[in-house]
Amino acid sequence: MKRTLMTAAATALAVSLTAAGCQSSGDSGKGPIKVGSINGITGLFQTPEVPKAVKAVFDEVNAAGGINGRKLELISKDDAMDPSRSGQAARELIQSSGVVALAGSSSAVDCGLNRATYSKSKIVSVPAVGVDPACFTSPNIAPVNPGPYALTTAMLYYASETLKHDKVCMDYTVLPGSGGGIEDAIKQWETLTGKHLTHKNLAVGQGDPTRYLVADKNAGCQAVIYNAVVGPWFAQAKTQGMQKVDFILAANSYTDANAKVIPPDMSAYAGTEWQPYTDPTLPGNDRWAKLVEKNGIQKTAFSQGAVMAADVFVDVLKTIKGDITRESVTKAFKEMRPINYPMVGTPYVFGPGDKHNPIQGSRFVKADKGGWKVLPGGFTVPGKS
Amino acid sequence: MVNSVVAGLTSGGGYALLGLCVVLTYRLVAVVNFAMTAVGAMGAFVMVSLTDKGLNVWLALVVGALSAALLSGLLGAALVRWFSGHRERTKAAVTVALYVALTAIGLRLFGGTSTGAHRFPNPFGDPVFTVGGVVVPQSVLVSLAFALLITLAVGLLLTRTRLGLKLQALSERPSTAEVVGIPAPLLAVGVWSGVGAITMLVIVLVAPRLGGDFSTLAGLISTALAVAMVGAFRSLPLTLAGGLILGCLEGVSSSLDAIQKYQGVVPFLVILVLLWWRSRREVWDTAHSR
Repeated sequence: MKRTLMTAAATALAVSLTAAGCQSSGDSGKGPIKVGSINGITGLFQTPEVPKAVKAVFDEVNAAGGINGRKLELISKDDAMDPSRSGQAARELIQSSGVVALAGSSSAVDCGLNRATYSKSKIVSVPAVGVDPACFTSPNIAPVNPGPYALTTAMLYYASETLKHDKVCMDYTVLPGSGGGIEDAIKQWETLTGKHLTHKNLAVGQGDPTRYLVADKNAGCQAVIYNAVVGPWFAQAKTQGMQKVDFILAANSYTDANAKVIPPDMSAYAGTEWQPYTDPTLPGNDRWAKLVEKNGIQKTAFSQGAVMAADVFVDVLKTIKGDITRESVTKAFKEMRPINYPMVGTPYVFGPGDKHNPIQGSRFVKADKGGWKVLPGGFTVPGKS
Repeated sequence: MVNSVVAGLTSGGGYALLGLCVVLTYRLVAVVNFAMTAVGAMGAFVMVSLTDKGLNVWLALVVGALSAALLSGLLGAALVRWFSGHRERTKAAVTVALYVALTAIGLRLFGGTSTGAHRFPNPFGDPVFTVGGVVVPQSVLVSLAFALLITLAVGLLLTRTRLGLKLQALSERPSTAEVVGIPAPLLAVGVWSGVGAITMLVIVLVAPRLGGDFSTLAGLISTALAVAMVGAFRSLPLTLAGGLILGCLEGVSSSLDAIQKYQGVVPFLVILVLLWWRSRREVWDTAHSR
């Protein structure tokens, strides 16, 4: 028994020593600047274009001499939307690869799972696409997209103030744990406008949407804010004769495929997180369009987020005087000055707070002839425009 | 509330059809087929991929149904070839594995919820009448008629025809059926193919109401199993009723604020209650009978 205990203790000591030996604080100060990202490449949430676009920006910077003579190296890990792989990816990037920060992540599970790891390791993450609510409520994470809460407020604001509807309704699928954030987003809209929702359902599930649409119809909704599956929703809204209702969809529905499934006589808008990607001539889109075209990368909203995250990251790195280490990068982000980026509605800033949602507002597009038409008027930032 | 119940009832025909496909497979080949809707969705997406390329919709429908039949037949052949002597639970486990594999392949081929949305043909979308504030389209009546047709036709096939007798023998005692000269493997593969084609047709019929992307359509298996459970995987008329009951329950649960947030649980709650109801008189170690 005693011998077994001794063996176990020795093994534990060896393992902990090995782990300690493998750990790196990302502060070598020599060689390439290693930057990590966790992306969904396989699995249910796929964004393969994101790490490609971040790499394209880094390649551009490297071709121009790098930062303080050091090249940028992106180490992207695919988490396949698998929690255990995501946690493993964060640990590997921080402990084994010694990355100085994470830039351009696009995973549906990264923020919620790894927020504590990032805080503990005093490392910052600038996701290209903040998907889960934790991306906007963590001290060491600040995405370059508005995310679900800010976007919801902007969508409600657009319905009541721009489209001038009095009876605004909401049918939402809310991810576990994000209900409070959505309620706060609604309260923010109520405070700004003094209006209240006519009908609300935050538990829209799978299956036939007729029951939700009939409830909207009975409530007399003039505009419906919606964030779930598009095809059956509009097919049944048409059957129920809801052609006069303005449906405002969240950014996840802003895809070419969805534009094609919306019947031509239905009125559908979508709130976008960056300048609508379907028009490369919009401010900020020209640089993104040229870069992704040159590198053969898919033109999606996510690749816009990737280019923006990489650009912002590089801009902040350039302000660092002295060695670029994990500590100096984290300090630079916490103390950075706001960056005006034309692809979004408000300046990007990380800052010292406990939660970050710097990008606010949305630009709206309308479904038209199987595509999306960009509406004039620029970004709708609640309370400001 | 009444309007919500009526709205829920209009979904019932589609749910019933999905449940009937599960019961059909179980009664004919004694397998709880978790991969059923994924196979049907594959066929449905073959169809819409062809219509996207400009093929005539009816021709595409036939090709889609044939591809689902082929895929289902291959699945059936694999089960007959390698798992015929195994227990039902092993066969069910194999279909779960196939469901996961087919869903992954489907996502890769046809895209996710946002990027892979397709507009399915909706020839029965025109309104027929209005009940309260709910417009009832032709598709509701067509789904109900199709569900009734399957219930009656399969009931008659199994009880009144020689082929039906053979199919029952195949389902209940496949080895004995083979001994008495019934070509069991061939018949089983034929049944799998037939059910595959029917499932594809059902998926195409319900797609405009229940989902236009691969993962949503493949995921309809949970609803299908809940409905099949009402009929205890045996009774076709009870399964038909189960579809309507589930639709009603969904309508009620979405209209009551207190339980609204738990409405996604309804199908699973139905499964749970029915499992408990069915097993309340069972004695430990007593063999389950189908």
